[in-house]
Amino acid sequence: MADVLSEIVLPEDLKKFEKIYHEQLYRNDVTPKAKFEYAWCLVRSKYPADIQKGIVLLEDLYRNDVEGQRDYLYYLAIGNARIKEYAKALGYVRSFLSIEPGNVQLISLKENITKKMQKEGQRGIFVAGGALLAVGALVGVGVALAKNK
Amino acid sequence: MSAGPYNYSYIFKYIIIGDMGVGKSCLLHQFTEKKFMADCPHTIGVEFGTRIIEVSGQKIKLQIWDTAGQERFRAVTRSYYRGAAGALMVYDITRRSTYNHLSSWLTDTRNLTNPSTVIFLIGNKCDLEAQRDVTYEEASKFAEENGLLFVEASAKTGDNVEEAFLETAKKIYQSIQDGRLDLNAAESGVQHKPSQPGRNNLSNDQQANKDNCPC
Ligand SMILES: Nc1nc2c(ncn2[C@@H]2O[C@H](COP(=O)(O)OP(=O)(O)OP(=O)(O)O)[C@@H](O)[C@H]2O)c(=O)[nH]1
Ligand SMILES: [Mg+2]
Repeated sequence: MADVLSEIVLPEDLKKFEKIYHEQLYRNDVTPKAKFEYAWCLVRSKYPADIQKGIVLLEDLYRNDVEGQRDYLYYLAIGNARIKEYAKALGYVRSFLSIEPGNVQLISLKENITKKMQKEGQRGIFVAGGALLAVGALVGVGVALAKNK
Repeated sequence: MSAGPYNYSYIFKYIIIGDMGVGKSCLLHQFTEKKFMADCPHTIGVEFGTRIIEVSGQKIKLQIWDTAGQERFRAVTRSYYRGAAGALMVYDITRRSTYNHLSSWLTDTRNLTNPSTVIFLIGNKCDLEAQRDVTYEEASKFAEENGLLFVEASAKTGDNVEEAFLETAKKIYQSIQDGRLDLNAAESGVQHKPSQPGRNNLSNDQQANKDNCPC
């Protein structure tokens, strides 16, 4: 187990949420909830191909479901960090923090990613905003979502 | 795989559960950082924290999973319950609804953890006495009826926060001493470090070597 970058989803959980997603897909009626739950399990898989699949689903959710955007951004960062796409991962973290500066959960994720990179001898390079999803355009939404308490 | 040296001899897995906004993340931060976050955003999915404590002269590393209370995370956060040695179940003494939901949190916990899991009930925000909506007596009776440990605490002032985390660890440690908690059981939520180097009772991933960092 240990932290959010290394814990592994249980195979039975992955299967459970995969089944729900596929049933909805078959009926051509996929809810963001089912898609997110499946993607959240995929990005915690030990197989990079699963993580990659999870990232595709999250990118799609990010574009089409405004309500959960901060969640999708967070798990996009985690998924990318887990397949060593550090530049992208840190780009997503930075986008999130530009919307919600001081979010301790994201600051701690950023520290974890940096630690993991140092262990692997990687340098910290960011992918500029433009190469990622169009995060900037949605800043207003993010601010509104952050103040939900 | 190098096995140690560890600066702790046990790892206990905890989960923190309860309705959104009851103060789970603030309790975790008060415990790990000794700080209060006045304006804390909703947790996304799960948050993770650690701290090394000492019980009966033994150093124990607590690995704490703080779960998001918002409904949309509920289905997946359930998988974090498995293999928890301790569960901190939190409600907000100023919001009755968070107390009323305890029986459903408790049912989930009992179903998804094992019989030796220590469940600690925390009535948080006890600094807000003027807005109290649940009496101490009532909650205390609920805890007793269900065999739970119980305190009222405040993540803001730090009152009883340390106690809740430490008492849970003491109870778990006691179960190990009494032989009620089987260290070799797959989902006991406890790892013993020096005697079983390279073994990992908590999950099947390759964590043992990553846990060496003296953090
Ligand atoms: N007065 C007072 N406020 C508190 C206390 N604990 C938490 N709060 C406040 O209550 C709000 C919610 O706290 P959180 O720790 O984010 O709650 P949570 O249970 O983690 O919420 P989710 O992550 O959505 O499940 C924050 O604005 C805190 O500042 C406390 O002991 N006293
Ligand atoms: Mg929280």
